[in-house]
Amino acid sequence: MGGIYSDLLQKDVTPKWREQSSFDPNYGFPNGRKERKSIATEEEMIAAGIPADQRDFCAHLLIDFYKCRQEKFPWVVSCKHEKHKWEQCEYEDWVLRMKEYERERRLLERAKRKALKTSVEQTIGA
Amino acid sequence: MASLVRCRSSLVRLVLLKKPLTVAPVSSASIHAWNKDWQPGPYPRTAKERAAAAKKYGLLPEDYEPYPDDGMGYGDYPKLPPVPTIRKSQYEQYDLPYLRRNYGETMSVDADALREDWLDPELPKHMHAGSSRYMLLWFTAVVGMISVLFVLSDPYPLRLNVMPKQYPYQGKKHYTFDPVED
Repeated sequence: MGGIYSDLLQKDVTPKWREQSSFDPNYGFPNGRKERKSIATEEEMIAAGIPADQRDFCAHLLIDFYKCRQEKFPWVVSCKHEKHKWEQCEYEDWVLRMKEYERERRLLERAKRKALKTSVEQTIGA
Repeated sequence: MASLVRCRSSLVRLVLLKKPLTVAPVSSASIHAWNKDWQPGPYPRTAKERAAAAKKYGLLPEDYEPYPDDGMGYGDYPKLPPVPTIRKSQYEQYDLPYLRRNYGETMSVDADALREDWLDPELPKHMHAGSSRYMLLWFTAVVGMISVLFVLSDPYPLRLNVMPKQYPYQGKKHYTFDPVED
């Protein structure tokens, strides 16, 4: 929400949402962050017929769902637990993207604040 | 100014002279009960039939002129001048002021198209709503406005505040928000 407003009027502190983060991902984490690991390998995804845009970090659950569908067909409604697990994973992925956006925005605002402070100090010192 | 004078004269007539405000129906031809009663009679061949038809439609015999008997089915219906509602006097006292017509008045066959907001034969042809100039104008205005909005809003799409989707095996490391503890 407010995306158009930010794009138009707060361009300097709005994250470039078409690109990945411009900051070091581990900035602010003394020991770093846990890396995301895909459980399914790329070969498994391709072999299971997962479309390219769904070969993400939830693909292993989608593979399970596809497999269940194939086994239970035509009673695919019995795969609702597999489907729910995959959807929950996609939801958490979305939340992670929202968090990344907020982190990027706050870091941009912080960088702006720091630049302003530096320039003010230079003006006073000179 | 002329309209003011006419307004005043009608007021004088209303208040002082106390003339009757409505005119008696000129014709009884359109007082009907059934759909079949709305049909015109057969095409008048003799002078006597013409006089009867003229009387039926409330016209003088010399004013009465039927449509040609060319299979259109107008029968003895009179050819009346195509006067649209908007060209009729607004100061006259009508039975139906909104439509500017009187009860039982004989209408033009094109009365449905001569509505106040529609056809006016006295207008130049290019000013009618169906003319190619009007259609081109409206097409350009509507499509142009949509195109302008499309082009101007193209860099600012509706979006949600999320970063792009992360994919594994594309040569870039991605992280959760859990800190490494050791």
